[in-house]
Amino acid sequence: MPPNGSNSAAAVWAILRKECRSEWRTRYGLNAALLFAVSTLTSVSFVVGRLPDRTDLLAALLWVVLLFAALASLAHAFVREVEGRTLTLLRLVASPTAIALGKLLFNLLFLAVLEAVTVPLFLVLMGGPPVRWGPFLLILGLGSLALAATTTLVGAVVSQTRGRGALFAAVSLPLLMVVLAASVSGLRAQWDGNPVATEARLLAAYAAVVLGASLLLYDHLWED
Amino acid sequence: MALRLLLFLWIAAAMLGGFLWAPLVTALGASTRVLYFHIPSAWITVLALGWSMLHSVQYLRTRRLDHDDQAAAAAELGVLFCIVAAVSGSLWAKAQWGSYWNWDPRETTIFFLLLIYGAYLALRSAIEGEEKRARLAAAYSVIAFVTVPFLVFVVPRLHATLHPSPILPQPGERGAMDPRIRICFLAMLAGFTALFFWILSLKVRLVRSERRARQESAAQS
Repeated sequence: MPPNGSNSAAAVWAILRKECRSEWRTRYGLNAALLFAVSTLTSVSFVVGRLPDRTDLLAALLWVVLLFAALASLAHAFVREVEGRTLTLLRLVASPTAIALGKLLFNLLFLAVLEAVTVPLFLVLMGGPPVRWGPFLLILGLGSLALAATTTLVGAVVSQTRGRGALFAAVSLPLLMVVLAASVSGLRAQWDGNPVATEARLLAAYAAVVLGASLLLYDHLWED
Repeated sequence: MALRLLLFLWIAAAMLGGFLWAPLVTALGASTRVLYFHIPSAWITVLALGWSMLHSVQYLRTRRLDHDDQAAAAAELGVLFCIVAAVSGSLWAKAQWGSYWNWDPRETTIFFLLLIYGAYLALRSAIEGEEKRARLAAAYSVIAFVTVPFLVFVVPRLHATLHPSPILPQPGERGAMDPRIRICFLAMLAGFTALFFWILSLKVRLVRSERRARQESAAQS
């Protein structure tokens, strides 16, 4: 039986704290993801140089860097449980939905840390025009939410398969094309001085739909 | 047997009609004829995806492996038709637009569908155990199903289209199809749809008899 409302909010919070603590103990996932993001960013910046007036390229490159960093690291939250053989124990103490929501919040936090390092570095290295912070952060935030919602669900599926790492990126990407396209279009509009409301609505709707579908699906994911 | 023969004759007749009886559209020249293969393939691609996802949802509700067999078989056929649609469309694009591929929204969509099919089948091949495979694949299918429609809104914002209208113009309207082209085209559409369901039933029967054979040999040993 799934626990009632207040219990499950407490369970989500407990899962989030447990995720943060076990990540902090090793910092293996975060370090790897940060190094990966910075390496990607450095190679992009090194091969194309500064792009002060190409806002279309800047928007695309920023999201490609973020997407790659996310795909390299976000399956970690579930894969860690499977590899450490701790998933069964976790399921004894919390409902699948609470586990998944806790992991989603953790992934979101993880992305936020990743972006806090990558995005300022990107802006400095690529030398883009000044950003409008409101629309910029809105698109970045909603894009990250959509990214985290999708990858958390795919991570839960992929962690139960053979060859998890390689499969995760391949299986997530078709679902994330929409997020990628809308986020790039939004960032470009932000730099060009156009409104970003359409893209923001699209990303928010996408995140809401994926989240809603996830809540229905998580109970089906672990049964054996 | 008689139905199979009828299907064969039907498609052959529609094809001959398309080449010998129906006229060419002036602006398109000989490349008009891609219409009889390209659009039905694209239609089957979408139909197969819908069929696969419908059965995935049914599987999650009922837990009967029959639904998973349908979903998997439809996805495998979907890949085939998706490749036919993409290649025929690409050849047509070379003839008409001068390049095989330029991320036109429709090219993007068909490529995206191919990626989803590929990911679905790759996922299936990486999971051991029938029940688990069916369950996880169905979950992935549902997520793909709810995210696909967003593509329709988002892709045109990145790239503009040159693709002919997807909706058939009514007779008398500008750009309307010649009635002979229309007849051949609709006949091909019906033929392809029947072909799809026929191969689908063959594949599903094959998977079922394999499972039965496995169960019997397991029971004997």
